[in-house]
Amino acid sequence: MMRWWAAVETIEKIIRDGQKRVDEVEVCYFEGRSISADLKREKIGYATGSQSSGLSIRVIDHGMIGASSTNNPEKWSECLNAAIKSANFATPQPWGGLPAPVVMEGKPLCYDSTLELAASTVSSLLKALIEGASHHPSSVTSGSAGLSESKSILANSNDLWYSRPTTMTSVSLETISGQSTGYEFNNSCSLDYDASAVGEKASFLASHSVNGRDISTGRYDVVLSPVAFAQLLGNVLIPALNGRNVQAGRSRLGNMLGEGMFDPSLCFYDDPVNERGLAGARWDAEGTPAQRVDFVKNGVVGAFAYDLKTAYRYGKKSTGNATRSGPGGAPGIGHHNFMADGKRISVCEERAIYVHDVVGAHTANPMSGDFSVELSNPFMVDGGSFEYPVRKAMLSGNVFDMLKEIGGLGKDDRCLGTSILPSIRLNKQQIIV
Amino acid sequence: MQDIRYYDIRHVQGQVTHIDIDNTVVESAGTSFFDHAVIRVLGPRGFGIITLDNYRDTSKKQLGELLDAALALAIITEENANLADTPGKILPVPPMKEDPRETGIEEKTAILLDIEKSARINEIVNTRANYIEKIDTVHFENSNGQEYNYETCRSGFSILAVASRSGIVQMGYEREHSIHGLNIRHRQELGRVAAERAVQLLGAESAKGGRMPAILDPELAGVFAHEAVGHASEGDLVQEGNSVLNGRIGEKIGNSILTIVDDPSLPEFGFEPVDAEGSEVIRTEIIRKGVLNSYLHSRETLAAVGNGCAGHARAVAGEPPLVRMSNTYIENGESSLEEMLGECRSGILLKGSRGGQVDPGRGVFQFNAEYGYLIESGELTRMVRDVSLSGEILQTLHSISLCGNDRIMSQGYCGKGGQSVPVSDGAPHVLLNDAVVGGSGND
Repeated sequence: MMRWWAAVETIEKIIRDGQKRVDEVEVCYFEGRSISADLKREKIGYATGSQSSGLSIRVIDHGMIGASSTNNPEKWSECLNAAIKSANFATPQPWGGLPAPVVMEGKPLCYDSTLELAASTVSSLLKALIEGASHHPSSVTSGSAGLSESKSILANSNDLWYSRPTTMTSVSLETISGQSTGYEFNNSCSLDYDASAVGEKASFLASHSVNGRDISTGRYDVVLSPVAFAQLLGNVLIPALNGRNVQAGRSRLGNMLGEGMFDPSLCFYDDPVNERGLAGARWDAEGTPAQRVDFVKNGVVGAFAYDLKTAYRYGKKSTGNATRSGPGGAPGIGHHNFMADGKRISVCEERAIYVHDVVGAHTANPMSGDFSVELSNPFMVDGGSFEYPVRKAMLSGNVFDMLKEIGGLGKDDRCLGTSILPSIRLNKQQIIV
Repeated sequence: MQDIRYYDIRHVQGQVTHIDIDNTVVESAGTSFFDHAVIRVLGPRGFGIITLDNYRDTSKKQLGELLDAALALAIITEENANLADTPGKILPVPPMKEDPRETGIEEKTAILLDIEKSARINEIVNTRANYIEKIDTVHFENSNGQEYNYETCRSGFSILAVASRSGIVQMGYEREHSIHGLNIRHRQELGRVAAERAVQLLGAESAKGGRMPAILDPELAGVFAHEAVGHASEGDLVQEGNSVLNGRIGEKIGNSILTIVDDPSLPEFGFEPVDAEGSEVIRTEIIRKGVLNSYLHSRETLAAVGNGCAGHARAVAGEPPLVRMSNTYIENGESSLEEMLGECRSGILLKGSRGGQVDPGRGVFQFNAEYGYLIESGELTRMVRDVSLSGEILQTLHSISLCGNDRIMSQGYCGKGGQSVPVSDGAPHVLLNDAVVGGSGND
């Protein structure tokens, strides 16, 4: 780790030195610390402390963009040389300049200044998970708790200099009862939740999935929990909204701007400053002010996500959707807090198969939207409550088609990394047993 | 310091070079650098671990402070961990036929552009080619006086072709990764293979789901060995009570023709010259002739669980070691594909892999083929797309009735505990008597 003032001085040096050699320079530097511990069954098996740092440099010269990164800010000169060399290989493209600074107001997002990285806090979170799990008959197999803090600076040769701190806390627990497993987790920038409730849920899922009943192949109404819904959206719909995929012909929604493709009540949008979000930001990874983007409004495709590079190339405007998702931490296209809205109902009021999670969502076909997933912790629900667990079932369908007509969205929006999503009720889905 | 029973340091420095070509445009090409270390201290009970960046300039005094910091963390652990004694031995890293570092990025870009160009056939709307080359320079030492230094280079490429016709979009995909050096020369035809498959898939039917006999091709059967058997045999999951294979050593869990192996010493993409805690790597037969024979272990899980071999601890740079697979495969049987088709009569042949996932405690797996063919009267007929397979591990192992004699290894990456490590999976063609096949096609 560098002293913070030394990092600041290094960034200034990189920009000064780089500007003599290329048109524009962008530097992102971060430092982070974390502490975590992991359970083996009900005992703490190991504890980990970590220190990390990273420097990413991007240069633009005559429309050629190059990037490099290193952990070691003292090796900035080698990294700058690699970034400039990298630009020499890139195909030149239209480029309208890096953003200039604007005044950003509001308190830091995703940050709790009172969070202390203490081993004792991690231990008590694990104890709370175990205590919560003891409310149902199941055994803990593994679990973890972690606390982290980081600070980052984004600077460019256009006098932009933004810095921000972030904090994160996380807990998770896995349990088993006979041959039924349960997994639950939570993340938040502060310790504003009850870890024992997370443990209780993991244990509930395992213990209540025991003695699952066989059902037969056929069409059933299905309720996807926020976790299961996020898995299918993340592997199919979200890539289809990425402006680069759209322009490259890799998105089924590419030619559908302005078209009603989904249930007329459905909305999908990015809300970067939502205070509940875990990936909120006032500016994106390139310094463009982050903004609400309405990808789908009332069923109609309204916008795609762009960063500066893709926007300049195709004559679009950046939507503030750059994230550090490219090679070596270079900017790429992503989102901040992906959210859904639509008609809200009590999703479990009428008979349906409730799906807590799915196995294998990443094997979905991102082009066509077709998927087949095995269900984790499926329950038959009716009248708002769980009737009985279902032993084993596979759900097959198409993500784009299943969103054309939905039963409704739940009232249980949950923060999950880079999305905040409710559960969703879907009519007559194909279940294979 | 007297509370330190053992410590080790694994320091990995290196660089990653990538080239990304999208629709003939060189989107990015360049090199990044990394330097990560992990220091593990076994205290009175369990491990305290420190991970840090830029270890290379660490002095002896600073190392002492890091060991103290790791010990302070170890104090909060409760599980009494012990380490099995294992032979410490390092294998030579197989020599490369052509060191990728000796070829300039300009030339590699030109070769990759050629592969991409060969995919641009009629009805293809997008082509994307990627090259990746990663050099790991590893230093390992521990308090037993063992010390190893080695360097590995893994490189490879992928080509994606997207075809479109009347609103239908399909993709074809080819990839090859290697530890044997630069592997992109003379591979142009793979661009065309990916493209032709994408175009064929435009006309393929959506598979109809249900229970039926299925033949898995070597790539998909390899994924089956990895997902359904490999993960459930990992010693840490067994120790936690989170595996359906727990307590079944010596039990006949599959057909006698079935032998499944994990072998980090094999010079394939998952090769390790020595494991991440300094143990010798050896071939481990997880299932031998249908009987559960061995779990995969680290030193800690071997001491706790037994019944297996250490040498299976692996780690991404800067992360603590976990029990992992390396090169996992089903051994050849004696059947030909023709015999299997004849035996199958009516069912489905599943080809290629889009990956899979398993819940090892529940014993349920799911994976997806890239495409397939219907089998009717023992003959391959129409092509189907978006076809998957799910099942229960123990039931499915008994349902394997024939193994082919045509094993092939495929390269990929496997994720666990937030770490993604290079692996290879392989198998011959395999016939399952009773499989749950998924697909969105309607009757």
